[in-house]
Amino acid sequence: METELKNTPTTAAETQSMADNTGEQTMGGKAVPEVKMQAEDLNLWYGDTQALHSINLEMYAREVTALIGPSGCGKSTFLRCLNRMNDLIPQVRLEGRVSLDGEDIYDHSVDVVQLRTFVGMVFQKPNPFPKSIYENIAYAPRLHGTGTSRSELDDLVESSLKRAGLWNEVADRLDTPGTELSGGQQQRLCIARAIAVNPEVILMDEPASALDPLATATVEELIHELKDNYTIVIVTHNLQQAARVAGYTAFFHMGKVVEYNDTDTLFTNPREQRTEDYITGRFG
Amino acid sequence: MQRRLTGSASDPRIRARYRRETRFKAYTVTALFVAFAIIVAFFADIISQGYTAFWRTEIQVTLDYNERAERIGRFAINEDLREIVSRGAVRGIPLEIRNNPELAGTTHERWVPVYSRIDQYFKGKEALPPELEQQVLQLKEAGVIRSTFNWAFFTAGDSKLPELAGIFSAAVGSIFVLFVTLMFAFPIGVLSAIYLEEFAPDNKLTQAIEVNINNLAAVPSIIFGLLGLAVFINTFGVPRSSALVGGLTLGLMTLPIIIISTRAALRAVPDPIRLGAFAMGCSRWQVVRDHVLPLSLPGILTGTIIGLAQAMGETAPLIIVGMIAYIPEAPSSIFESATVLPAQVFTWASEPRKAFMEKTAAGIIVLLAILLTLNATAVLLRRKFERRW
Amino acid sequence: MDKKGFSQHISRQYNEDLEQIITRVMTMGGLVEQQLESAVDALVSGDQEKGEQVVTSDYRINAMEVELDEACTNVLARRQPAASDLRLIVAVIKTITDLERIGDEAERVGRMSLHLLEEDRERSPMGEIAALGEQVKGMVRGALDAFARMDAEQAVRVAQEDIKADAQYDAIIRHLVKYLEDNPKSVPPVLDIVWATRSLERIGDRSRNICEYVIYFVRGKDVRHVSFEQMAQEATGDRH
Repeated sequence: METELKNTPTTAAETQSMADNTGEQTMGGKAVPEVKMQAEDLNLWYGDTQALHSINLEMYAREVTALIGPSGCGKSTFLRCLNRMNDLIPQVRLEGRVSLDGEDIYDHSVDVVQLRTFVGMVFQKPNPFPKSIYENIAYAPRLHGTGTSRSELDDLVESSLKRAGLWNEVADRLDTPGTELSGGQQQRLCIARAIAVNPEVILMDEPASALDPLATATVEELIHELKDNYTIVIVTHNLQQAARVAGYTAFFHMGKVVEYNDTDTLFTNPREQRTEDYITGRFG
Repeated sequence: MQRRLTGSASDPRIRARYRRETRFKAYTVTALFVAFAIIVAFFADIISQGYTAFWRTEIQVTLDYNERAERIGRFAINEDLREIVSRGAVRGIPLEIRNNPELAGTTHERWVPVYSRIDQYFKGKEALPPELEQQVLQLKEAGVIRSTFNWAFFTAGDSKLPELAGIFSAAVGSIFVLFVTLMFAFPIGVLSAIYLEEFAPDNKLTQAIEVNINNLAAVPSIIFGLLGLAVFINTFGVPRSSALVGGLTLGLMTLPIIIISTRAALRAVPDPIRLGAFAMGCSRWQVVRDHVLPLSLPGILTGTIIGLAQAMGETAPLIIVGMIAYIPEAPSSIFESATVLPAQVFTWASEPRKAFMEKTAAGIIVLLAILLTLNATAVLLRRKFERRW
Repeated sequence: MDKKGFSQHISRQYNEDLEQIITRVMTMGGLVEQQLESAVDALVSGDQEKGEQVVTSDYRINAMEVELDEACTNVLARRQPAASDLRLIVAVIKTITDLERIGDEAERVGRMSLHLLEEDRERSPMGEIAALGEQVKGMVRGALDAFARMDAEQAVRVAQEDIKADAQYDAIIRHLVKYLEDNPKSVPPVLDIVWATRSLERIGDRSRNICEYVIYFVRGKDVRHVSFEQMAQEATGDRH
């Protein structure tokens, strides 16, 4: 048993060998996956407490990457580093590099507002704005000036709702408040809202933990469909959910990435004892 | 079959427990009853004393605009009625004739208010000398004395004659004062609260400001009066007794209430809404403008209304800044001397004449009605816009 | 890897479920070994009683397989096992299938032994057949041992024994073919012996399968359809 942490598969060669080992079903014979976002030696402190320790992680384009781990392991903190939501919390200090398509998102010349239009986010509890369904989606495009005329916005609202698989359910009541939808519909509305800005990456912070199993299934199905066009990073407490939706899974523990692997390997034959203990429900 | 669930009824410990519970419940019900009884007694007393002020006794007289009346109004009335008719009712006749000379020499039938003692007599509150009593009873028989709704109470200003005194000028004063208070305290209060809640870093300085604001809300109102006197009148030279100085002083007092209630309303907006907006690429200002403020507005308004209601009932600081003056004419601007409803009530309450007692009570009724309306508006606002997130 | 790892779950009920499944697999294995022992005995010595006993006892193994299948299904449904737990359940499901088949082969050997007359037995290469029987008995025992201890290295050794069993089988078959060429009239009894020998050889194959499942469980590697060298490398090497 290894005592020392193996680092994440950061080189293309390692990734490739991983793909060879796991066979056809996981990699689908694809070439080395394209890296969309990357954290390099990322450290983060809340005041004096270090929450993230030297995180190295690559998130691949048009793949779902799941972040799992016990409560307080830093997975949500890490997720929030990816669109700089941690900026909102005072006393957060950060070292290292996070890049989107190779561009450092913490560079002082980066406009956070701009960044967040590229990296959208969906939260644990569905949080539609207390406005109409239409306004929920049209709000951000109008704000950012990407949709101006009424017809443009109409099209955008329709296409976003369609992509979120919600159009058929709400097409005839776009004027009703988004808060009157069911939990699962609200969450898909939030996803539609995120899509409307046309992001490249969508971060999801336990998007189904407040939903019942059926609504969870619809959201998971949506995630699966979105994968073709977006890079998705999802934090989840539900291991089965990670296993169901993610192509790659990273196991966080005590602010470190213990293991990062393709989901099939991680869930059938993890490399690290700590991962094994966590996903099988053993004493840690 | 052994019955295990009913056996405990005879257990002394369990019975003692039930007894204690019953007793405790009785205490709470008693306390509630006492509180309720006090309120009922208060309202009953005020209303029973004050409702008569909404009625007044009038007498039908023939006004003779003769030469003597051109100088002194009382001469327009038949001599034997001069003790009965209110002096104030005919005071204006000379002026009337001067403005309309063609009235000279004409006569008019008119209903005019009676002298306050006679009014009080008909309301069963005061006795009259037997001769006078005889006379007014005869007049009543003859149908020239009637009781009618006292519109003048709402349309007239203060007067030294109780039968003519009304709350109009005080009400206008109150409106002016509240307007100034609102204009002063609302923007400053809401903006400070937004800064503290949405923008301010959490450091020693902002914490100290917070603590001080909370303390300000507990400062006795008379201190604000002294502050208003020192700052607004002595330093900035704002006219004494004016609605402006009163409004500003009450504004100082209302400010912490508005800040605290606005902050509570802002804090009640769930964070996920903010995070959601931030995640869509909103700037802080956009988050506040488009999401936080619309959601917290009902709460902010509620707090403001409650603050204003409190300001409306405040007397002590206004006395300090001179708003206790005798104001028979409603002010026409915020720079003129004015008084406010509670101050008016206070003035009447200190009058020795009995007829002012019912005015005091009636003033209180009006004040209470306005306060209840304001508070009810606040409650309705909250109900209507209360959202479930 | 902690071989007794399935006793460390936070859920004690889960531990008990898994332990019980292991225990029952071992019980089933013991029963299969016993059946095989009796069958080989009946075949070699002509003990009719033992032969009949083997034929009538096979239902017990079948019943155990059904029970264990159900227990595994329940664990899958209720616990959604992952990682080593998942591999354990998969290995158990496959192992009991092979154990049940070994039971079937033993039954067939028992049935064949009832058909044979003493003279048929004398004409056959009973020494070689007995040796093959011993060989596959050893393999079954070894495979079950490896399973009980979750010992991948032993599993490799036992799997390699299959080469020997195959060679013995080939020798016996060659012998019987030659005998048939010389004595064309005695085809029916010789065919019975061929069937029994074939069954023994299959038992060796199935023991090898069980060893592969053990390696899969311990190493997380599928070693079916690979060379022995590769298998040994996977089983003994580092986990990756």
